[in-house]
Amino acid sequence: MKKPLPIIKHGLRVVKLTILQILMAVAFSGLTIADPVPTYGQDILDNIVSISVQDKKLGDVLTEIETLANVKFSFNPKAIPLDELVSVHQRNAKLKDVLGNLLSPLTIRFEVAGDYVILSKSIKKQQENLDRSSNDPKVDSEFAFSVSGTVTSESGEPMPGVNVLEKGTTNGTTSEANGKYSLVVAESNAVLVFSFIGYMTNEVPVNGRTVIDFTMAEDVTNLEELVVVGYGTQKKTSVTAAVSTLKGAEVASTPTTDLSNSLGGRVSGVIVKQTTGEPGADGSSIFIRGISSTGATQPLIVVDGIPRDFTQLDPNTIESFTVLKDAAAVAPYGVAGANGVILVTTKKGKTGAASLSYNGYIGFQNPTVLPKYVNAFQYATLQNAAADGAGLPHPYSDEALQKYKDGSDPDAYPDPDYRDLIMKNAMLTTHNIELSGGTETVKYYGSLGYQFQEGMWPKTNHKRYNLALNLDAQVTKTTKLFLGVNGRVQNLSTPYTPPGRVWEIIGYTHTEHEGPLWYSNGMPGAAITTLLYGDGYNKRNTTALYSQLSLEQEIPFISGLKAKGTIAYDPTVIMNKIWSVPADKATIDKTQTPYVITQGPPSVKPSLSQAYNQRYQLTYQASLDYAKEFGNSHVTALALFEAKGNNTIDIAVSRRNYNLLIDEINMGSSTLSDMTTSGTSSDARQVGFLYRVTYDYAGKYLFEASGRYDGSYYFAPGKRFGFFPAFSVGWRLSEEGFLKDVSWLENLKIRASHGEVGALAGAPFQYLSTYNAYGPAYTLGGQAVQGINERNEYNPDITWERAVKRDIGFEFTLWEGLLEMEVDYFHEKRSNMLVAPDVVVPAEYGIGLSQVNGGVMKNEGIDLSLTSTRSFTDDLQVSLGASFTYAQNTLLKVFETPTTFNNPNRRRTGRPLGTQFGWHALGFFQLDDFNADGTLKEGIAVQPWGKVQPGDIRYEDINGDGKIDDEDHTVIGDPATPQIIYGISPNIRFKGFSLDLLFQGAAKTDFYSNSFRAWAFQNGMSAYEDNFNYWTPENPNARHPRITSAPTTNNTQTSSWWMTDVSYLRLKTATLSYSIPSPLAEKLRMQSARIYVSGQNVLTFTDLKNYDPEATVAAYGNLYPQQKVISVGLNLGF
Amino acid sequence: MNKPIKYLKGKVATLLTVMALVSCNDYLEVEPKDQITDAALWANTGNADLFLNNIYASVPGPFNTDDLEDNYTDDSMNGIPGRVSGTLYANSTYTPSNAPSYWGHYANIRKCNLFIEKVTASSFADTWKSLRLAEARFLRAYFYQLLWTHYGGVPLITDVLNRNTQGDDIFRARATDEETYQFIIDECTAIADALPVKAAEAGRATKGAALTLKGWCELFAASPLKNPTNDLSKWANAAATNKQVIDLNAYSLFPDYETMFYEENNNNVEVIFDRHYLGGTAIGGSREGLQGPWIVGGTQKAWGGVDPTQDIVDEYAMANGLPITDPASGYDPQQPYLNREKRFYQSIVYDGSSWLGFEMVMKRIPGNRNATDLANFNEATNTGYYLRKGLNPKYAINGNQRFNSASFIIFRYAEVLLNYAEAQNEAVGPDQSVHDAVNAVRERSDLPPLPIGLSQDEMRTAIRRERRVELAFEQKRWYDLIRWKLAEVNLNRPVHAMLIEEENGVWVYKVINAPGGNKTFYPEKNYFFPIPQSALNQNSLLTQNPGY
Repeated sequence: MKKPLPIIKHGLRVVKLTILQILMAVAFSGLTIADPVPTYGQDILDNIVSISVQDKKLGDVLTEIETLANVKFSFNPKAIPLDELVSVHQRNAKLKDVLGNLLSPLTIRFEVAGDYVILSKSIKKQQENLDRSSNDPKVDSEFAFSVSGTVTSESGEPMPGVNVLEKGTTNGTTSEANGKYSLVVAESNAVLVFSFIGYMTNEVPVNGRTVIDFTMAEDVTNLEELVVVGYGTQKKTSVTAAVSTLKGAEVASTPTTDLSNSLGGRVSGVIVKQTTGEPGADGSSIFIRGISSTGATQPLIVVDGIPRDFTQLDPNTIESFTVLKDAAAVAPYGVAGANGVILVTTKKGKTGAASLSYNGYIGFQNPTVLPKYVNAFQYATLQNAAADGAGLPHPYSDEALQKYKDGSDPDAYPDPDYRDLIMKNAMLTTHNIELSGGTETVKYYGSLGYQFQEGMWPKTNHKRYNLALNLDAQVTKTTKLFLGVNGRVQNLSTPYTPPGRVWEIIGYTHTEHEGPLWYSNGMPGAAITTLLYGDGYNKRNTTALYSQLSLEQEIPFISGLKAKGTIAYDPTVIMNKIWSVPADKATIDKTQTPYVITQGPPSVKPSLSQAYNQRYQLTYQASLDYAKEFGNSHVTALALFEAKGNNTIDIAVSRRNYNLLIDEINMGSSTLSDMTTSGTSSDARQVGFLYRVTYDYAGKYLFEASGRYDGSYYFAPGKRFGFFPAFSVGWRLSEEGFLKDVSWLENLKIRASHGEVGALAGAPFQYLSTYNAYGPAYTLGGQAVQGINERNEYNPDITWERAVKRDIGFEFTLWEGLLEMEVDYFHEKRSNMLVAPDVVVPAEYGIGLSQVNGGVMKNEGIDLSLTSTRSFTDDLQVSLGASFTYAQNTLLKVFETPTTFNNPNRRRTGRPLGTQFGWHALGFFQLDDFNADGTLKEGIAVQPWGKVQPGDIRYEDINGDGKIDDEDHTVIGDPATPQIIYGISPNIRFKGFSLDLLFQGAAKTDFYSNSFRAWAFQNGMSAYEDNFNYWTPENPNARHPRITSAPTTNNTQTSSWWMTDVSYLRLKTATLSYSIPSPLAEKLRMQSARIYVSGQNVLTFTDLKNYDPEATVAAYGNLYPQQKVISVGLNLGF
Repeated sequence: MNKPIKYLKGKVATLLTVMALVSCNDYLEVEPKDQITDAALWANTGNADLFLNNIYASVPGPFNTDDLEDNYTDDSMNGIPGRVSGTLYANSTYTPSNAPSYWGHYANIRKCNLFIEKVTASSFADTWKSLRLAEARFLRAYFYQLLWTHYGGVPLITDVLNRNTQGDDIFRARATDEETYQFIIDECTAIADALPVKAAEAGRATKGAALTLKGWCELFAASPLKNPTNDLSKWANAAATNKQVIDLNAYSLFPDYETMFYEENNNNVEVIFDRHYLGGTAIGGSREGLQGPWIVGGTQKAWGGVDPTQDIVDEYAMANGLPITDPASGYDPQQPYLNREKRFYQSIVYDGSSWLGFEMVMKRIPGNRNATDLANFNEATNTGYYLRKGLNPKYAINGNQRFNSASFIIFRYAEVLLNYAEAQNEAVGPDQSVHDAVNAVRERSDLPPLPIGLSQDEMRTAIRRERRVELAFEQKRWYDLIRWKLAEVNLNRPVHAMLIEEENGVWVYKVINAPGGNKTFYPEKNYFFPIPQSALNQNSLLTQNPGY
């Protein structure tokens, strides 16, 4: 049994806490809980206890009874005289007798609700009090006005244990198991205060009503009282680190497929970029507090205490996300923590009868944006214009133009538009069933989820099955066991060429390259048609299992000490099968009338490749945990050992030249040269010892020290271990006497942290002088042979990146929650970054240099979150949440060549990583810039990429030397990763309706729209409609330079001309829901029923054309657009 | 407490103890499974051989590019608009920052130096050492040859640079053009006798390869670019060395010019040194898809990366052996593809020829996607021709997949014969041995011998024509134009195309300037490539070539 945490005071809401209470509170956030069966709960009162105390404070005695009887009390401390001295002496008595003896003299009533024994002042006593003060005329006039009603959660479920207090008095009660309460108040215009942990505290004027049903709104900004931190939990109020949290319930009903897409704009300190909307690959890059390193930048993800991926978990099974941001928060993760940590906690079982709930939606997806290529007529027109400009004959005759225009001969004058191949309203559907319940000794939570997502064409889709089972058992009074099993199966299907190549082929799908998508006789005429609608596929099946077993034992002789051991085994198997069947397009013979459309010349025969990837991770943790109170001092200590091993095995085989169209390896060609095999394996190991000590004096002064002594296999023996400590302090000013009575200030805390953490960078074994072996490398004597090449120069001293992180944060709550805010300033200096010291050797050196731990970079900024909630009536609540993150890094030391370093315009050092450099475009050369003979006028800088003409891009000669060269480079854009991300989430609740919106935006980021993303006819590809806005003497201020049949060297230089500010604002999610009133739900034999309509990426505002503003400038890939999803869902509780 | 709980507690205790006892250092002892340590690699000849294999694999080959070096010359151009050969190089607008770079061969030179250093220091058997060291030195000389022909004098690095032990000594200045040349010659001379006439495994360096490399460099050095005074002894050196190769009697001409380049005939009797490919793997070749005809039978089959020009087409003789410029040749400009020599039909896809069983139509017919691309806007031929030479129809259906195992022949016997003929003609005059060498090449393609009694100048013209045709699209032409100092002429004017248009119901063959085929060459600087700006930035001892 866990040592109960001390009583803390938090504004009006003063409650006693246990972990289970918190879990229960959290559970209310999105789950359906059946009524606890009263008779079951009454059993608690039959627990046998022995107790003997003399003249101790009631509060302490209750705490002791909690331990002895394994019960939890819930009460309003303002109503219960905790400081009253009491005595009780009983041996082997039933709890109800003990409580009766103890509490009845104090006129305290007790009843069981769920896990709790709820204490309240008995009405009788209140009436006596009122009687005694009957000479008070105000009280006298409205004597004993009685109010009753039902308290429900937003999803319509009854809520037991809610404190209902008459404002300004100690008069109060708590709601019963069925959510019902009744309270006698002093006057008919009294104000009731409803409060419950994890929920907004609300004041409701009685206004003469005798029945007040009230719906509790979740406190969406945080988990309020307890937060999950690294290797444990802490009270929110005593946390001295920078952490932000998000409830799983907030994302469970939004049509999100990959959980990494659920954090942006919702959690402060998180910068995200979702570069593609492709099913199964549509996750976001997550940068906690931006980018702090030239090396790896992704945070560590921890699921239920074990480092694991979280993106494909079922959103319904997520209890909470916690983002650990500063050194104090991440120090326990040592070398894995520098880029921040995201802790994901899955739901656990709760005591009570089995409750069953269903959550599901069906949604329809359409791309947020599709590249708008020109149609065939526009293509021909544009190409003719390009020929005009070059003084060459028109490639398309007037007759051809007319045929393209009127579409009268689509076989011979085709207009293949890839958009005709895209499915409209592709389906996205998710279904989930949860079952939860338990007894005092065993609690269970089970969940089964299914998701199916269609792609933009039939070849692409993603299917996922998730299964979760969490089991908590109190195996003895002092021993707890936890078993968690979380598995999934994913089936991903795409066309047989990689997605990037599909989009490349789309770029070539124009009349010059392809026939119509389909000829009039039904045969395919374009490569994209055969690729998306022919045979062949790329299927990837993933089976992953997270399993863990923990045992926690209280140490009998030292009160407050626990030992815990955990083993987690996470195997993952991925099978990849690519059946590539290049289909023959039909061809047309236009010399015959009518045209003859036949099968084209043969293509290569099909080939099949199959890969098997096995990954497993084995994690051990062993810890000692200590918590103890000494008067006003509260001390906790944690020591933990962790070892983690990863193994991978990859095997792949392939055959080509299939005669039989059967997609099995054994059915392929039996010629040896048509077969390939490959295989490799690798191991990874990490081991660490971590500690955390906290000291808290009277809830006011908070100190914490944590750290990790960490080891990794990456480095040379003797260099493998590092120590990463952090310290933090907090001061809760609102607990100080001088602020305690300030009525509008509920909470004010200042905290600061300082510490050092590490980051693994580069690749393992860079310390070894080794060679790579590979094969086949060459053939000699007609036989394939292996090859060996030298790797980069080795560096025996290679070690981790070190990050010194500092953070100052303020948290405050004003006007009873009307404004709650948390703001942090952070500063990080990352040193030891791996950089290649290019300048120290000549290019003739002939080998890559070992990277050295030489780079230094700082990253600073602020992140803040804000919530404001206001109840206008008990039916209407409005709240607003906001988060804002600004992170700007600066390269302090990188090995930069003198060429760029010595030119202030080109210097990388002192600028943010990823700052984009190039020539500054002045606009176009205009007719006036040329002499009559076509030469440039005197004084115009010479550009080195061939003869320029009017309509070519003119670049600025920054150094004024009369010629454009590299020395004229300057900064032309911000990094491609946004430096600012913000979210604004208003919501309105009216009766059963609720509208939740999330606006998400990014700023300070530029996108380089070069190559096929902007230019007409790049590499023989098509052009965009936008390319029609090209320079002509009549259109001197066009968007694009003069039109040419291929982009010219001069106009394709890296310049500011092609830079686009991709700040964006989008309505990321919008959900409108309606909860059926509970009486109606009950008639339908349900505890609750909620129906909702939800949208994802509903609206996007940005300057970027043809691509989503989150698209990346990476190779051909990643251009599968983001999806706009509209869904309808149902949430039922039984 | 009941028994199972006790048992569990016992387990926990055991687990905790085990963990505490685990030696963390042992736990972190992980060996990389795809890597070889220095000690293991140089422990035996079998392993060391694998290192040398990688150096062989580093020899560049052109079968996975759509922009063959011949596109830099007047022999062909790229049908794809915007390729470097047609823009930066054709217009001579390249700068030290964006010029094609060969400087990366210093990585290969390092590999050779490392192999030589490690093997020299080893205690392997002398016979093995002597052979493999010679191979490595041959490869190093070959890489230096690539640098020398493009840049002139370059830093001569023959040791393994090590910044930790050598300090500033790792920065080396450029050797002179002469020193660089002499190094290559000396190396080839030194190793020739250590190499076998016939390699135990096809593909390895041989005595013939070393002598051919030497003879080629001597020919280059004797040519006008490097021999402005026309020192005849240089020509004599080149003739002597090429004669040495002929006298090895190890090589002969493969009977069929067309299929000599197919994978079926890899390592044939004519091959002196080649670069290998392995189809179906990452090191396979895909020249058919990259360099072959764009549209075949109405479907795109390749990228059209190499379009032979009218200029090379005009060099092919008539079947009677006479050049088309000879009034007696019987050449009809309106039936230009009739009665040409065999190599024309084996090398060029022209209007009316057959490819993959389809008739290739290059005529200007509306909707014909293989008509000469007058607007230079798509991958259709810009010249009226596509490449056929060396393209194996078996693989021409594959797009750009690397399925071909055909070797790229770097040196073959026909070149040696022509090298000899050229050098001997310059050094001595058109003696019988010159006639014999050229006629041997002609005879293979069923051409009659050169007329007897040619003057030295006439013989020079005949040899250059023979060389251009015989070695077309084998990445020889650029070097020849440079060394003959003809680039300022041939690369300073447009290349030509054939336009077949209907006029009054008759198909008319018109030679036009190829669309996108303009060329500019600045003789004051373009005979040498600029040293890459990045190399200059990193080594202050390097000096730039003139004019950049």
